[in-house]
Amino acid sequence: MNTNASEIVRVDNVRKVYSDNGVPVDALRGINMTVLPGDFSVIAGPSGSGKTTLLNLIGTLDKPTEGAVYIDGEDVASKTRRQLADIRLRKIGFVFQAYNLNPVLSALENVEFTMMLRGIDAAERKRKSLALLEELGIGELANKRPNEMSGGQQQRVAIARAISNDPRLVLADEPTANLDSDTAVKLLELMEKLNHEDRITFVFSSHDPQVIGRAHRLLILKDGQIVDDKVNV
Amino acid sequence: MLARIAWRNILRNKRRSLILIMSIVVGVVALVLTEGFAVGMLQQMLTNQIGTDAGYIQIHKRGYQSDPTLENSMTDPGPVHEVLEKVGGVLNYSERLRVYGLISSAYNSYGVSIVGIVPNEESRITTISRYITKGTYLSGKPGQILIGASMAEKLRVGLGDKVVIMASQRDGSIGSEACRIEGIFETLNSGFDQSHVYIPIQTARQMLNAGGLVSEFVINPKDPHEMNEVVSQIRRSIEALPGASNRYEVLTYEQMLPLLVAQLELYKQALYLIAVLIAFALIFGIIDTMLMSVMERTQEFGISMAVGMSHGRIFKMVMTEALFLAIIGTATGLAASYIITSQLSHSGWDLSTFSASLKSLGIGSVIYPVVQTSSVIQTVLIIPIATLLGAVYPALKAVRLQPVEAIRAS
Repeated sequence: MNTNASEIVRVDNVRKVYSDNGVPVDALRGINMTVLPGDFSVIAGPSGSGKTTLLNLIGTLDKPTEGAVYIDGEDVASKTRRQLADIRLRKIGFVFQAYNLNPVLSALENVEFTMMLRGIDAAERKRKSLALLEELGIGELANKRPNEMSGGQQQRVAIARAISNDPRLVLADEPTANLDSDTAVKLLELMEKLNHEDRITFVFSSHDPQVIGRAHRLLILKDGQIVDDKVNV
Repeated sequence: MLARIAWRNILRNKRRSLILIMSIVVGVVALVLTEGFAVGMLQQMLTNQIGTDAGYIQIHKRGYQSDPTLENSMTDPGPVHEVLEKVGGVLNYSERLRVYGLISSAYNSYGVSIVGIVPNEESRITTISRYITKGTYLSGKPGQILIGASMAEKLRVGLGDKVVIMASQRDGSIGSEACRIEGIFETLNSGFDQSHVYIPIQTARQMLNAGGLVSEFVINPKDPHEMNEVVSQIRRSIEALPGASNRYEVLTYEQMLPLLVAQLELYKQALYLIAVLIAFALIFGIIDTMLMSVMERTQEFGISMAVGMSHGRIFKMVMTEALFLAIIGTATGLAASYIITSQLSHSGWDLSTFSASLKSLGIGSVIYPVVQTSSVIQTVLIIPIATLLGAVYPALKAVRLQPVEAIRAS
């Protein structure tokens, strides 16, 4: 399968079947999509439509039952666990619904963590992490642990962590689901800013109208299939 | 940074970490104390045997060790005396005439080792004079005898009573002597008390019609650690005596008491088995607690994998946690062991309840632990290795987590 050189992600006729107590369940049925640099895409759909499953496949956290997922033209199915971890480290940033920061690390250390995994030296990663926290408006929280921060603050740290390694793509799984409306709006504005100014590519899974309303591209999933794909919504 | 995370993971659940550290501490203390008491007991057994009878070094006429008869005793001990006076490393020495014979009272007769001693010299060599519980030590007057308390009981005799000792002379005839009980001794070895009696060497020679005969010279070196050097000096000097070539055997206690030494070695080997058993018990404790710690953090591991942490690093992080716990637990355990053993090395562990059994083994009823450097080194190696081995399974469990499922775990 040839992929366009500019494509970050290409999902090619992907099917994902789960076993639910021995009963096969089709979570995704023949998905085709691409993610291009600078995208601000939202995968929307009701609960159980397969949004998170698709995001996990794009994020190389899971492998398709059929079809293929290409990251920068490379088929992830052929990669070992170690290679997949390396792809995630270098090319993909994750933002989770429940923030999922490491509770024993400060905000600064959480951002530094992924850079440490890449082998960036301590001084450089501290400098960059502080700069990122400042940019995201939480510089004063650098030494706070997650349990000392609000949900919105934690999610900002999670975004800083996700972009700290200059990834090709940030995957955000229901990033506003645990936040109040005002905080969610501020967070989305922040991500839009990162998309506009720093050309960071975002793919969301969400059914939050506030997220959907800001999408440049909207893919509607239903029963494991893309039923609508709107660009420049 | 990985070490920092591992350390903070230990601190985040202090109670569990404390339980885990305590189990390591208990393992260390158990290992050190078990070894300390076992080694202490074995050394007491050996020291008592050396101190009560054997001494560190003995000189015999060649062949006496394998066939301890009067025929194999020294008829001219003078040159050996001269050598022992000259060798610098010798602290004290004494001569003995030893023969196997019979002791009889009006009620009973028993076979015993009749030891003719030079009382004042013997008291500087062995501890028998300190174990007199009734009466007094030999003054050297003819016709005195020291017998063990258990032998006195069996013969139904007491202080001042007469007993008859008899043994074969060199010509095959029987020599006998009536002796009055001067003192009754009770050593730490009940078997020894039942099988040895002491008389002045002149009385022994008179009974055996043996002139200046000597069975053995018992020698204590100035420094027991230099025993082998002193033995070499004595051997060289004896070999230099005119016509002495191959006439004498100079033996260390290890050569005189091969069974006891072998027994001690056997016990030491058994200690390794105990150490392995303690280590195994610890491994299972570590597996249980570390596994709980890992399973509680399933989601965290999933997130770490999602952001690109390799399996190798996850394995390393769990093992680093175990290493920290091992270091803290081992250090604390060693400190606790030091406090306990330094206290007990003065007061000892009073096992009077088992004194009968311990006396049959030649050990006192109070055991003093001896902690050897080798046992500390062994503990410092075994316990952390056991801890790390115990952490391998939980670490592999963390490594084998599937990111998607791990992230979903609550």
